[in-house]
Amino acid sequence: MSKVTSKNQLQGKEIKRDYLDEAVHGYNLKTAMEEAARCVLCYDAPCSKGCPADTKPADFIRSIRFRNIKGAAATIREANALGGCTAKVCPYDRLCEEACSRTGIDRPIQIGRLQAFAVAMEKEYDMKVLEAPEATKEKVACIGAGPASLACAQRLALQGYKVTIFEEFDKPGGVLTYGIIPSRLPQDVVDFDIQKVKDLGVEFVLNKKVGRDISISQLKEQGFKAIFIGTGLWKSKALDIKGKDLSGVTSAVEFLKKARSSMGQMKVKGDVVVIGGGDVAMDCAATAKLLGADKVTIVYRRTIEEAPADIAELEYVQALGIGISTKFKPQEIIGEDGKVKGFLAEGTDGFSQLKLKADHVIFAIGQEAENMKEIADISLNENGTIACDLNKGFTNEEGIFAAGDIVNGGKTVVEAVAAGKSVAESIISYLSKKEGVK
Amino acid sequence: MAKKADLSIEYLGVKCENPFFLSSSPVGGCYDMVAKAYEAGWGGVFFKTVGRFIADECSPRFDNVSKEDTPWIGFKNMEQISDKPLEDNLQAIHRLKRDYPDKVMVATIMGSTDEEWKELAELVTQAGADLIECNFSCPQMTSHAMGSDVGQNPDLVRQYSKAVSSATKLPVIAKMTPNIGNMEIPAIAAIEGGAKGLSAINTIKSITNINLEHMTAMPVVNGKSSISGYSGAAVKPIGLRFIAQMKSHPLLKDIQMSGIGGIETWRDALEYILVGSHNVQVTTSVMQYGYRIVSDMISGLSYYMEDQGFQKLEDMIGLALPNIIPAEELDRNFKIIVDIDHDKCIGCGRCYVSCFDAAHQAINWDFENRRPSVNDECVGCHLCLNVCPVPDCIRPGEIKYKDESKRIPKDIAFQTRYE
Repeated sequence: MSKVTSKNQLQGKEIKRDYLDEAVHGYNLKTAMEEAARCVLCYDAPCSKGCPADTKPADFIRSIRFRNIKGAAATIREANALGGCTAKVCPYDRLCEEACSRTGIDRPIQIGRLQAFAVAMEKEYDMKVLEAPEATKEKVACIGAGPASLACAQRLALQGYKVTIFEEFDKPGGVLTYGIIPSRLPQDVVDFDIQKVKDLGVEFVLNKKVGRDISISQLKEQGFKAIFIGTGLWKSKALDIKGKDLSGVTSAVEFLKKARSSMGQMKVKGDVVVIGGGDVAMDCAATAKLLGADKVTIVYRRTIEEAPADIAELEYVQALGIGISTKFKPQEIIGEDGKVKGFLAEGTDGFSQLKLKADHVIFAIGQEAENMKEIADISLNENGTIACDLNKGFTNEEGIFAAGDIVNGGKTVVEAVAAGKSVAESIISYLSKKEGVK
Repeated sequence: MAKKADLSIEYLGVKCENPFFLSSSPVGGCYDMVAKAYEAGWGGVFFKTVGRFIADECSPRFDNVSKEDTPWIGFKNMEQISDKPLEDNLQAIHRLKRDYPDKVMVATIMGSTDEEWKELAELVTQAGADLIECNFSCPQMTSHAMGSDVGQNPDLVRQYSKAVSSATKLPVIAKMTPNIGNMEIPAIAAIEGGAKGLSAINTIKSITNINLEHMTAMPVVNGKSSISGYSGAAVKPIGLRFIAQMKSHPLLKDIQMSGIGGIETWRDALEYILVGSHNVQVTTSVMQYGYRIVSDMISGLSYYMEDQGFQKLEDMIGLALPNIIPAEELDRNFKIIVDIDHDKCIGCGRCYVSCFDAAHQAINWDFENRRPSVNDECVGCHLCLNVCPVPDCIRPGEIKYKDESKRIPKDIAFQTRYE
């Protein structure tokens, strides 16, 4: 069922204008084969080296090229618990595709779309790639059902550990389910990846926030021998400017979560200003536009070149008719009767001024950690993230591990997957009494 | 890509871990190459042909045929048999068998007299080869007492097969040339001479391209070139045909075949198995992509067998043979009219062009809406289906019978898919 309403071309992709529709067409066998045939099949392939989660793009592209579609799907699933999601949301232009040798001829292989194709075929073929042995080893609790925990849980379950994931919200997925626009990451893709983790015997306990509804000591009493914290960053940063508490001012986290939970039923009326220059800001702007906003403007304090958002995301919002005003620093949110009426920003050049009519102002300037001390008495960094090695994940408390955004301060899904995978190895090493035992 | 079913098979009494072999060619000509191929997963190797003759090669020596943006549709190769001393090759064969006892080592040999064939057979047997293949088919030898000139002569094939078989206890395989109308004739001669197995096809005599500047064929060797062997994806249909024809001959149907020609993927390999091969041999795609391609062959074939419920490779050998029948025996009582899906159609008009210019003017073209429609002239040839660039846009539709009394169940008529 195609809901294409615009024939605008964005790198050959049609722009879709329905909130729940994917922005990018998927490949079919024929088009996937054409793209795979463009791959120059490098020796010692740089794309594979460019993947933080070791998803082995060179291997799965070669499998597609040599008509082993199932092998391609298996390679991805084995390496990356969130192969479907990362296929949609990875910043390829900074990772595998940036490394692609084909760039020396014309343009990189569309690795993300090939990965999405292979995962779609995994679903179509109803493949069961991974099989977990009977869970006879220790019980491990993962806190938060986002990318880091899911990746960690997959690894542990494959090694025979009994894993339970505790999630504060009523659906698993974390940022995948609540923090990304469906046009980039459809829910069925998220659900499929999560189902593959469930199929390994990982248990999910939803609506239970560790530190509030259940304590670490209670978990230990229940027999959990290791605890993994992969809670992510859920507190939006806010600017201390006049009008920040007006009705109509909202955080990116709240806004995106509400929009996704409503499955696109939420309506946005009037004019919207989004503050920020990352993917989250782009997602907020696109969400606002697709849910009915009249005019959406992104205001960012640096230049487009400096914006951390993915190029594809920047192009997408522009194709939706969203303007980006750069080098403006928020000054004031103008209110009337307690509601947002306008937005004022000053140019970083010390001269320019920006005054916009606004009914909503969304802060998308980054997230920070909630109070992790509520979970456990572990050492934190100054910014509230957990103090531990990015890849090893040992906190100062024995048996407590952490990875993902809550450690790195907010990076990509694929980096959270990579860290979750690698910290799983630390947990295994700890539980087999080789490392971290005090 | 973890899938690894049991792909083992017994070939002429030798246990093979899988049916994927390198053919006797540039891809398996020394210890290091073959060792790397074994490590990559190849079940065995037909070692580059050894003989008393030591090749003196030209430069350059390859060319490839492309179409639009696809290179290597076909490949031309002017190399002959090994350019190394026989002793070096024998030593490599010996060391490889010693270091990789579970991998299969087939020594491919080529002589020019009874005595030479016998001597080579004895030497490679002593070196530890599992099997011997007689190369009766290299089309670019500089000696006319060797290669495909021998393979076209059933008497010589019989004579040399006999000489080799008499000099070794190992099963002997005859490698056939496709540069002939009926391969069955020399094949039967080889079996009469004592060969136990047959390999086909060697390369096809070819001129791949003419160089328009130097007025000679490619590759240009100091202003000249020669006819020589053609291989690669383009020759697979010819290889399949020869294997199927030999396997269908009453005197050859029980002979174990090794299929060669244009194999790049597990599907290509399986096709050779389905027309009666016990294993396959690969060179051109390894020249293009390297030994690594075997991993997708192993994995892909494993998935197929699991999906289809085949326990043993052997159970698939020749399954397509009963369904490949003489043209006069085909059921010609129906035509399958096509359906064009206007939602999928992108309005390119390729079906219209091909149908009008090369078939039966059975497609009308709506200029205003840019859409084709099928008229009553359709004979069910499916040329349109072959040219349509959109998957599943044109599909087999209504079946029209010439004799209504001889209808057949719809489900066998037909899963026409062109891949």
